[in-house]
Amino acid sequence: MKELGPLIHSFWYLLRGAGMTVLMATSAVVPATLLGVLLALLHVFGGWLLRSAILGYLFLIRGIPLLVLLTFVYYLMPLTGIDLPPFWGVVLVISLYYAAFVSEVFRAGILSLPQAQWDAARSLGMTRRLMLQIVVLPQALRLSAPPYVSLCVSLVKATSLVSIVGLWELTMASREVVERTLAPFQIFIGAAAIYFCICYTLALYGRHLERRVLLGH
Amino acid sequence: MEDTLNDASSLAIELAPARQRRPMLEIAGLCKSFGALEVLRDVSVVVSPGEVVVVIGPSGSGKTTLLRCINLLEEYERGTIAVDGEPIGYRTDGRSGRRARMSEREIARARERIGMVFQSFNLFPHMNVLQNIVAAPVRVRRIERRQAEARARELLAMVGLSDKVAEYPIRLSGGQQQRVAIARALAMDPKIMLFDEVTSALDPELVGEVLAAMQQLAGDGMTMVVVTHEMSFARDIADRILFIDGGVIVEEGKPDQLLFAPQTERVGAFLKRYNDRYRI
Repeated sequence: MKELGPLIHSFWYLLRGAGMTVLMATSAVVPATLLGVLLALLHVFGGWLLRSAILGYLFLIRGIPLLVLLTFVYYLMPLTGIDLPPFWGVVLVISLYYAAFVSEVFRAGILSLPQAQWDAARSLGMTRRLMLQIVVLPQALRLSAPPYVSLCVSLVKATSLVSIVGLWELTMASREVVERTLAPFQIFIGAAAIYFCICYTLALYGRHLERRVLLGH
Repeated sequence: MEDTLNDASSLAIELAPARQRRPMLEIAGLCKSFGALEVLRDVSVVVSPGEVVVVIGPSGSGKTTLLRCINLLEEYERGTIAVDGEPIGYRTDGRSGRRARMSEREIARARERIGMVFQSFNLFPHMNVLQNIVAAPVRVRRIERRQAEARARELLAMVGLSDKVAEYPIRLSGGQQQRVAIARALAMDPKIMLFDEVTSALDPELVGEVLAAMQQLAGDGMTMVVVTHEMSFARDIADRILFIDGGVIVEEGKPDQLLFAPQTERVGAFLKRYNDRYRI
């Protein structure tokens, strides 16, 4: 029990770090989702120019590690004169990064909808916009919900990378405590447990969604 | 009918009756190909209001494609299609003869009054039965929701599904889903109904309930074009049968004549094969 002392003493501090992690993840997941849905729609329904632009963006993002991108933007920002608080800077980078993956998930959802659903909607005189609104998107979003939740889990874990560029959140807080207490194992086991609780809760929710999707609604 | 239409003077004098007798569906010189494969070759069909036309023929003959061209689920390369006098899909300029595609909005408007029922039902799985039926009347035709729901309940009663209003499609049998699909198409108050092999995906014991609903619809005077493999049903319901093979109408006639005394060898051979298998 004595070995756990450093962890117990600093647990509240770690929890505050976790709060920051959650705040950062939530701030990033909203724009990532909105932009992802938009990109997916434009990718499926846009003209060739738009589609190739999006395709290029996807290739780029898929080929670059988030850590490299974060560091790059960290050094780039002062040069461009954009004066964004570091928190919003990394939120922006994570959003843009994850938007690419979200768009792929939603695009798969849209494409996996059987042609027959389109036929039925068209035969009822629906315009494309109405079809999207009441037939295609509600189903596509439902179909993509489970993989979308696993993306969210991955996003939460990705926020740990921002400690490299000096932002304070759970991983950064843990490193600080380790430097003070010289008890890396206890502290990082604690941090891992906190990450696990956040992500596992999300994953459980994803499993619940998946079951609902399989049942039809 | 044709003489009235061709006779300009009687048209002028008796405009109202002439309009009544205007064909509900008029397909002229329809050609359609998928790449190099010609699926429909110069097909012309005229269907009068209230007439039930059944289309039969071997698979791959172009029956379904013909049906799907009528509400432009398939594009076509040549020919014209008009429903109740309104062209759908393409307009041909009388003078220059240039063919122009109608706008998406115009096409959507034209589709509103053409009901279609599909082989695989195609209900919207995320909506319950009532929502499936009222979605298009409310959102497309802008009918007041309460009124649309009342009409939906009437239609469900007609197809014998009053107790399934709140069910989701996944909880219904194939036959029930197909009857909901019929009600959904009827809720748009269509001028003509298209049926695309609507019993092919059903268990044999469920076929009857769907055919009964169609029979009733025909009895109520609905104009119908029916693609089917159910020969005995075709005989019962059809005013006229078209036999299509290789993208052309090989033969057409009254059911008894076409099914029991076909004029062409092709139809005779098809029916013989069919009879050997199913013994109607």
